[in-house]
Amino acid sequence: MGVNYQTVLWNRNKKIYDRWIGLSMLIYLISFIGLTFITNVQTSVETLIIRAFGTLAIVLLHIILVIGPLSRINTRFLPLLYNRRHLGVSMFLAALIHGGFSLFQFHTLGNVNPIYALFSSNMDYNSLKNFPFQVLGFFALIILFLMAATSHDFWLKNLSAKSWKRLHMMVYFAYALIIMHVFLGSFQQQPSLWSTAILSFGFVVITALHISTGSKERKLDHIKTTDTNEGWDYVCDIDEIPEDRAKIFIVDNERIAVFKYNNKLSAISNVCKHQGGPLGEGKVVDGCVTCPWHGYQYLPHNGQSPPPFTEQVSTYRLKLIDKKVYVSPKALPEGTEVDPVIFNN
Amino acid sequence: MKEKDDFFIGYIDEISNKTKVTLKTFVSLSLGFLILIAIVFALTQNTFKNSSFELTTSTKITGVYHEMPYPMLKVKTDKNEFKTIMLLGFGKLSANPFLKKIKRQTPNLSGSMLSIEGNLIYYNGKTLLQITSDEKITLLEKANPNRVPKAEYIAKNIELQGEIIDPKCYFGVMKPGNGKIHRSCAVLCISGGIPPVLATTDQNNISEYYIVTDLEGKPINKAILPYIGKPSIVSGTIYKLEDWYQLRISTNHIKELHLPSNIY
Ligand code: HEM
Ligand code: FES
Repeated sequence: MGVNYQTVLWNRNKKIYDRWIGLSMLIYLISFIGLTFITNVQTSVETLIIRAFGTLAIVLLHIILVIGPLSRINTRFLPLLYNRRHLGVSMFLAALIHGGFSLFQFHTLGNVNPIYALFSSNMDYNSLKNFPFQVLGFFALIILFLMAATSHDFWLKNLSAKSWKRLHMMVYFAYALIIMHVFLGSFQQQPSLWSTAILSFGFVVITALHISTGSKERKLDHIKTTDTNEGWDYVCDIDEIPEDRAKIFIVDNERIAVFKYNNKLSAISNVCKHQGGPLGEGKVVDGCVTCPWHGYQYLPHNGQSPPPFTEQVSTYRLKLIDKKVYVSPKALPEGTEVDPVIFNN
Repeated sequence: MKEKDDFFIGYIDEISNKTKVTLKTFVSLSLGFLILIAIVFALTQNTFKNSSFELTTSTKITGVYHEMPYPMLKVKTDKNEFKTIMLLGFGKLSANPFLKKIKRQTPNLSGSMLSIEGNLIYYNGKTLLQITSDEKITLLEKANPNRVPKAEYIAKNIELQGEIIDPKCYFGVMKPGNGKIHRSCAVLCISGGIPPVLATTDQNNISEYYIVTDLEGKPINKAILPYIGKPSIVSGTIYKLEDWYQLRISTNHIKELHLPSNIY
């Protein structure tokens, strides 16, 4: 046990992932810069850099934002989620080059400091048409910076998974700011049906995917037991759970996962301690419940990560009446040992 | 592999074939979109002007210093032909800080022959010079009042449609050097003392440029900041000084047009 257990190390899949990130960014930059040189040769180097990296960043952001819901809809997209943080950091770096060059180009070398200049040069805050769109980009960049800086698991632990998650949910706010940054900036001076259409299309796709997975999740939370037996809730028949897999169920407004493995049944919380991944969509591998998102592992009978790791999730008591699986709705303290229910096939 | 066993663990190398197909499709689609978006964003850029800024080359020019009311140098280009070159400082600053030293030595500088080394900026018949150090200004001949160009009255109460721009960026340093994208930068330049200029274009697409001053022909900087980078109608009195026009205005007479600025 534990031989497979690694948190953040390089491995083959991550290397392939990173190679594709690098290659895609290169293809984008070469296409944008090449086409601009061919069709609009009087451009300046600074403008070329600002625009190439600004647009690259927004494209990468779209890819990042579709990966989440796609992998909720179909687990075959999960490998894309696995190393999404590298995509996020790459996007931040592209945005930083764009924002840094813009800040230098438009706001430095004046009679006031550049950050003050960014906020005060254009004071038409009450007009949409004249709004200082750079300010929106600036706040978005700060959010992206905080996310990139805390993307390592070290921060996840130190900030607690909950506040980390809250911080990283701000990506949607950053996305909104960036969309406004572009619509109130570049698009006002270079109005084009094509570019407006393409960003609107991106927005519709992202929104639709999120609404569809959101409603799926909400449905899940409304699962109710159809039978209560002396304080035990009926979950499902034993045959409904595939081998080494789980059935997700709701007790006390909490999601739990009931696993079937090796002629045993165990129930643990559905929420992974890492980033809240759905353990019930995971699989028992080498005797451990393995999270589908990044592969954190837990022992099914006590909710503990195998040593040397220390994560623990709550466990639940189960009982079997005929072929019917029942759960006691009360969560046991995280890491509590519960004897698995043993059954014969 | 059976579908229900299709389970990806990042740190284990094997990936089921079905997952591989999904990933390949996703990556190909993403690359397709990436290229499509690069095409769209690249081709929807406005056409850049052929304005120039010689960032890495310095040029020495010699001429008669005068102020209208911003520092200018009248340079002889040919027999009886002159060009008035607008002087600018480094970054988003006017030439004045760089002229301080020589003005201390020669209090009445207007009418003096100066030789200045700097970086040229030029577009559409107008030339400007960026001065990066006060060491690069040399006095050749002391002031001769007869050499100072005189402002020639042209007309008053004239309405002109255009955009107030900062000439440094507009005539070469930045692309685009006008409009909304560039507005904050232009505001910073003009508040740093760079002369505001009204750029106009007539029906035949001929552009004319007017150096903007207050009603008395004195520098105007702070008061004009809210009107920069917006298409407007500006009315005032026109003077001519050599090859530049001067427009004397009161900011009360600027009307914003609420048009996109890309027409200029
Ligand atoms: C300090 C922060 C930022 C500043 C000062 C800034 C400034 C600017 C400026 C001046 C432009 C117009 C450039 C031009 O068209 O010539 C622009 C456009 C744009 N920005 Fe930003 N920006 C910032 C942050 C961001 C961020 C974080 C993103 C996205 C991840 C972003 C995405 C874009 C995009 C897609 C465009 C339109 C394409 C373009 O014209 O470059 N910006 N930004
Ligand atoms: S391993 Fe990352 S959420 Fe479970």
